[in-house]
Amino acid sequence: MFTSTSNRWRAPLVAAVFTTVALTAAGCSSSGSTAVPGATSTAASGSSDALYKNAIVAKAADILPNSTMAAIKKRGKLIVAEALDAPLLSQQDPSNPDSVTGFDADLAKLLAIYIIGKPNVEIVPPASETREALLANGTVDVVFNTYTITTQRAAQVDFAGPYFESGLAVAVKSDNKNIKSIDDLAGKTVIVGANTPAVTAVPEKQPTAKIVSFGTDPEAVQALTQGRGDAYVQDLTLLASDAVSNKAIKVVGQPFTKEAYGIGLKHDDSDFKKFINSWLVKIQKNGTWGKVWKASLGTVVDSKIPTPPAIGSVPGS
Amino acid sequence: MNVLIDHLGDVLGALATTLVMFLIAGIGSIVIGVLVTVARVSPIPLLRWVAFAYVQFFINVPLLALLVLAIFALPDAGLIAPLEPTAIIVLAFYEAAYVAEAVRSGVNTVAVGQLEASRALGFNQMQSLRLIVVPQALRAVVQPIGNVMIALVMNTALAAAVGVVELTSEVNKINLIEAQPIAIFAGAGIIYMAIALVIGVAAGWVERRVAIVR
Amino acid sequence: MSDNFSHLYDLPGPQGRRRILIGSVISAIVLLGIIGLGVWQFADHGQLDGDRWAPFLQWPIWQYLLVGLLGTLQAAALTAVLSAPLGALFAVGRLSRVRPIRWIATAYIEIARTIPVLLLVYLMLFGLPHYGINVPTIWKLVIPLTVANSAVFAEIIRAGVLSLPRGQEEAALGLGLLPRQAMSYVVLPQALRSVTPSLVSQLVSLLKDTSLGFIVAFTELLYRGQVLSAFNHLLIQTFLVVTFIYLVCNGSLSAVASRLRSRTVRRGIRPPVTPDLTPTAQKAPHA
Repeated sequence: MFTSTSNRWRAPLVAAVFTTVALTAAGCSSSGSTAVPGATSTAASGSSDALYKNAIVAKAADILPNSTMAAIKKRGKLIVAEALDAPLLSQQDPSNPDSVTGFDADLAKLLAIYIIGKPNVEIVPPASETREALLANGTVDVVFNTYTITTQRAAQVDFAGPYFESGLAVAVKSDNKNIKSIDDLAGKTVIVGANTPAVTAVPEKQPTAKIVSFGTDPEAVQALTQGRGDAYVQDLTLLASDAVSNKAIKVVGQPFTKEAYGIGLKHDDSDFKKFINSWLVKIQKNGTWGKVWKASLGTVVDSKIPTPPAIGSVPGS
Repeated sequence: MNVLIDHLGDVLGALATTLVMFLIAGIGSIVIGVLVTVARVSPIPLLRWVAFAYVQFFINVPLLALLVLAIFALPDAGLIAPLEPTAIIVLAFYEAAYVAEAVRSGVNTVAVGQLEASRALGFNQMQSLRLIVVPQALRAVVQPIGNVMIALVMNTALAAAVGVVELTSEVNKINLIEAQPIAIFAGAGIIYMAIALVIGVAAGWVERRVAIVR
Repeated sequence: MSDNFSHLYDLPGPQGRRRILIGSVISAIVLLGIIGLGVWQFADHGQLDGDRWAPFLQWPIWQYLLVGLLGTLQAAALTAVLSAPLGALFAVGRLSRVRPIRWIATAYIEIARTIPVLLLVYLMLFGLPHYGINVPTIWKLVIPLTVANSAVFAEIIRAGVLSLPRGQEEAALGLGLLPRQAMSYVVLPQALRSVTPSLVSQLVSLLKDTSLGFIVAFTELLYRGQVLSAFNHLLIQTFLVVTFIYLVCNGSLSAVASRLRSRTVRRGIRPPVTPDLTPTAQKAPHA
């Protein structure tokens, strides 16, 4: 139809060639190592490597034949549903896309080492409404996504753990002297994250509060600083990390709920559940859990390593 | 589907928000789109260029990026407004670009003889645009504008990502509690399809009534 | 701009030209004033500070985003290549004289156009593995997009066929060609040539629709922008950069479309009335 030698094609052709070259360069060249502001400290990743070297590996007897663990070991990698944009929990480093670090991410790698011997993890970032379905149809093996244990969810999936207990806290603008805790939020506009436990927890505590939800954490923080809400309710550690990098907000009061995070797995897979629970107990006993916490969440919270919650202590787990 | 019926009050409230957003943004986008087309065909080169840049910008940038920038970046440039009105305005401007393109091709279908006759009768440009060109152009592009309206309904769901409580965000909230994504989202999908069908049928009815038979 | 609307108004005489000049100058002043005010306020809030933009001077960040763009382009190209012939098939089917074929084609087109693409993606994500069918990630995005886009393409191509002068088809039939042959040798090639600009513009819509890929965890530009903004806590700057990338990429495609359009107009092929763009919807990423 159109000959490519005609003049009018020259400019688009040049543009196309340039774009292709740029994209190929992007795709092929090795990732740079220049530091990017906002990166979690490189010291943390150094100690993670030490963690993986000494991580425990399951005994052959623990891996029951025909079980999920055996299939994972045979496949050679653990497929995990975890986020890529959750700082301190599982955040991808854009200057090194293979590196995903954080509390959830490191625990997932340790679990992979336990089953397979190497931290071979394939990450599938889930949209929060797809987590149960991803487990049900076997697209992922486990969900490591600050997955709060609830009885409704326990009807669709199984939970190992809980492996961490956190709570929802309140953040306000740094110059706000009126709001000191959740009790001061009656009738105020409260910002929450769109698919987080805060969506239901805040109306329970303060039915008169007006809820505004945003899709991602950076948006919610920006909304708070812009005055689109009086307070931002979110998991304590996320808020702490935001407050560290953004002097315009501060965390007030103590966490007012208890959120127990569990490792999601396929429904009625009791062998796998027992297996993971025994692994959790082991890493809690030998201090690995504490080391992981210190390298990730511990960098923004000024306290000693918390005691991990007891396995099975929450209904649904 | 029982899950949605259990929360019927919330769902209907959110559906009302969606429909309100759609109506206001829809009418707004048609008005703005016609104005942009008028600028596009005006004799002032600057206005033509601005209209061209407007259409190119809104057609080439994803709506979500526009919503995020409007809600989070504009306040720093001096324009802050509540969430829902901002979302409606962004939707109106975004779809207006598509409406402008549609009406522009409609303008092309107006026979040159019409305009020559109007000039011979002494109409000035504003009058011939207002009385002759735009009415005929609109009547020629009813179906494409109907398609734009359907896309607008689907795009109102994006406002959920930036805090507006409409059908999609309400349905997400219900799913957070009930954890039954297939039933819930299939239900929501059917509601959107029903709205789209109504718009499509309405567009067909309007077209039959106002079509210019040459 | 390729179109000329000078038939809409008399060529301006001296008074008209003066008025146009005054109008241009006033509009220019107002426009520049508004933009200048906005930029000044923006800088006032510190959004133009060097340290907020410094991260974007580093190649790894651009590489991260450009790899996302690569994914976007891949998915869009695959979808386009698959939905173009499918769309042509359904367009011809809807124009067929055989009633069952016409009904099936019409039903497919109408349903595929109104069903939210998000629903189709959920179907791929949840429904298929239920029956043991597991396809690679890119297909979980490409197949639903193909279904939706083939319907849109079908409508565009059908509009092209209908805008062709009927004489072409009648002459072909008069020369003894079968209806099938008339369609494939005479009508369809001309129709395709006249709607190529519309098809290319639909490609632009398609590129934006690939942002649905976040649901199936497909690496594409908008999601990578979100991950980046979570990482560097620079929401506004990141989204401005992503917007810029989209503008450049889609803008060049649109420029190609308008050049194609002026080419077809110059060759005397009448473009169809339906506009170039039939936007399909995009969906929201949530955390």
